[in-house]
Amino acid sequence: MMVLENLTVKFGGVIALDNVSASFHSPVSGIIGPNGAGKTTTMNAISGFIRCTGRILYDDKDISGLSPQHRTRWGLRRSFQHEQIAEDLSVLDNLRVLQDHIPSSRKEQRFELAQALAITGLEQRAHKLAQTLNTYERRLIDMARCLMGKPKVIMLDEPGGGLTRTEAEHIGDLILKIPELTGATVLVIDHDVDLIRRICSETLVLDFGKRIALGETDKVLDDPKVKAAYLGIEELS
Amino acid sequence: MKSHFFSLLFYVLAMSVLCVLIAWGKPFQVVGMFVVSGMAVGSLYALGGIGLVVLYRATGVLNFASGAIGAFAVMLAWQLGQWGVPAVMTWLAAMPAAIALSLTYGRLIAPGLAWREPVVKAIATLGFALIILGMTAFIWDDDVRKFSLPSDKQAVMVMGLRVTVTRLIVILAAIILVIGIWLYLGKTRMGLQMRALANDRNLSALIGVRILKAETIAWAIAGVIAGFTGLMFGDLIRLEPVVITFLVIPSIAAAICGRLDNLVQVLLGGLTMGVIESLLTLQPTLKDIRPIAPFVIAALALLWMQRGKQLLFARDN
Amino acid sequence: MNISRSGIIGLGLAILLFAILPAVSGGQWSKIFTSTACFTLATAGITFMYSRLGLVSLGQVALMGIGGWVMLRMNHAFEFPFEINLAVAAAVTTVFGWILALPALRMRGLYLALITLMAAGGVEIILSTYRFPNGGDGFWGVTSSVSAPFRRPELAQSDTAYLRYVIAITTLGFLLIEAHRRLAPGRAWAMIRRSEAAAYSSGINVLYYKAWAFGLSGLLAGVAGGLLAGTLGLLDPSTFRASESIMLFALAVVGGARFWLGAVIAGVLYRVLPALFNDWGLNADLTLVIFGAALLHAITTAPDGLAGQIINLFRREVKSS
Repeated sequence: MMVLENLTVKFGGVIALDNVSASFHSPVSGIIGPNGAGKTTTMNAISGFIRCTGRILYDDKDISGLSPQHRTRWGLRRSFQHEQIAEDLSVLDNLRVLQDHIPSSRKEQRFELAQALAITGLEQRAHKLAQTLNTYERRLIDMARCLMGKPKVIMLDEPGGGLTRTEAEHIGDLILKIPELTGATVLVIDHDVDLIRRICSETLVLDFGKRIALGETDKVLDDPKVKAAYLGIEELS
Repeated sequence: MKSHFFSLLFYVLAMSVLCVLIAWGKPFQVVGMFVVSGMAVGSLYALGGIGLVVLYRATGVLNFASGAIGAFAVMLAWQLGQWGVPAVMTWLAAMPAAIALSLTYGRLIAPGLAWREPVVKAIATLGFALIILGMTAFIWDDDVRKFSLPSDKQAVMVMGLRVTVTRLIVILAAIILVIGIWLYLGKTRMGLQMRALANDRNLSALIGVRILKAETIAWAIAGVIAGFTGLMFGDLIRLEPVVITFLVIPSIAAAICGRLDNLVQVLLGGLTMGVIESLLTLQPTLKDIRPIAPFVIAALALLWMQRGKQLLFARDN
Repeated sequence: MNISRSGIIGLGLAILLFAILPAVSGGQWSKIFTSTACFTLATAGITFMYSRLGLVSLGQVALMGIGGWVMLRMNHAFEFPFEINLAVAAAVTTVFGWILALPALRMRGLYLALITLMAAGGVEIILSTYRFPNGGDGFWGVTSSVSAPFRRPELAQSDTAYLRYVIAITTLGFLLIEAHRRLAPGRAWAMIRRSEAAAYSSGINVLYYKAWAFGLSGLLAGVAGGLLAGTLGLLDPSTFRASESIMLFALAVVGGARFWLGAVIAGVLYRVLPALFNDWGLNADLTLVIFGAALLHAITTAPDGLAGQIINLFRREVKSS
């Protein structure tokens, strides 16, 4: 179970995250909100890229004190709004990068690689230079990397960004398989409400850095407060 | 703003303490002589640095060629002097040459690179510097030459110390330049446009800033400063194209002290570099190695500037 | 382990040069080629940092100077053989590479380039003030006349043998870089270049790998400087001015930072071209104009440098035939 306790992030005078607390029980949870709500900031705080106050716990273990690379080695995985693959490396090397820093046996590593490639359908392109791959394939590499090295928490920031409808659907299917495959908790940020509805059992809604709703996805999406936030209507009550 | 002011204060205090330590126990007359001499050299570094920072702020280009442009300008002035052209005229003839070189790069080559990273833009100016240096060295063979200005022979007494007018001009020029540019960028319309340009070139175009005009003016100003600095380098240091070209390196040191942004800090940085370098003459152990002062100061300034910074999304800005 | 086509060509070239070059070059040219190989090795230290990590080092020749200084000091202070002296020179320069890395670790792009430039400026002053050891006493080891001789490797006493020796070590240097590229460091560097966030998210300790890169770069510069010291048995401070570091970087870009061929081209342009110009009676200053124009050309239209253009030429020919 993933728990955020009183997470606050300030950039100078701007409060990007205001005392956000949330517990994620489901295998796949969503984080949604209008632009600038603080969704990516939340992920950056969990990743350890920005200074924040508050705690981040997973199964009661506090990871707030770990450096970013140690959070990864502990079991945090992440994809970003823009694909982050090294173009000079092959697909295989892009995946091996992660394995280099997580101790495990050669056999395990080979198995993991094969499995990750198989699930994302990238086996045929394993030895190709990442530079030659299109956006969809690059997102698949990011995804594949997240599956390796016994992940505990996987965060996906707009995994469907820049993809066609079918591609986004396929990514959604992939995400649904992750918890079963790896046992990891998955957090997904996306603007595509249909995707969120389909794959996330519970969803956190942020607006102006504050948590305005957390719970079962369908209930949350029907919440008048959430609708008001998206439509920019002032809530009258 | 406040922390910036304190940073500046801290720097001045630290440097003053250092100067006092180096000069401790030595007679005032002697120390004063070295301080004044140091301020003149330091103003030279500062002048070079100011030219670099002004252009960097407007265009994002750190111009490695400013030294080479200055070298060409001063060689031209010298040559004209050899041909009998009266002294002041040689200056006036050399400056347009500097401006022309600067504008050639600024209008022909720089726009094509405007979207590249700052380090790439800087390296490109290096190419230009080599071309100019090669031509200058080719035209004027290796020889010992001297460039002098009429102001060399005149001197002024400041606090009981004799200062040549040339040195005084350099120190005053640096101060006036800083004030002048501060006024220009802050109070004039074109200055505002230049600041917008520096902030975001594409956005500026969208809101109606006349990019070409602003950039042209920026490169022209840079050319003037480079030309003037070259003349002064040629007079006060040495008239050798290679030497003057690579005096861009201590100029960069001064520019670094200003974080490539603040002209007052560039001026203070340059002056303190010059003064400390000069004062080290009084320390027998460090006397020989004193030219290293600007680099040490710049390196420390860089370290101070970059403390606590975390760069993560460098490409994903 | 598979060797790429480029690798085969590279090794082939190395073997060819090893076999033939010393035989065809006499006297002065043998020394020029040895010097060229040294600078090629140093340039390899620049190019891998630039192409793999996006880091600009404007102080590589200065690091060579440090390597050369240690080499000469070791030679004159003790009786150890050449290889030991070279190893010490390499180790000391590696440490200097790390020292340089300390401020540079948190910087990127222009600021990094500038701090390496400041270091180069500093080293220039130190070397021109204290000069190179030539058998004298004290820490700096300088006397007014060249006293003690320089001990070359047992295997390579003559100029031609030394040229072979240097070519062999240069080749090893390239292989060392290639080994890094294929293993974890190379992968980590590529991720760091993409973005540090991505690197951290892959478990990479960015500071550690950046420091490693600087260390490797320093190692190569140290070896290059040490080997250069052996060329003439002495070194001149003017060889290691900050302007020379800048020039070598410029030529690395001209040659093409992504390819081993680029480093070779850079070394050749840096050492052989001016010598040729001298031989042909042309003014060596013109080489500066050529280099400057080539640099501008490389940056504006040919980012892969001369090596890239040559390789493309071959690819097209292979495709059409």
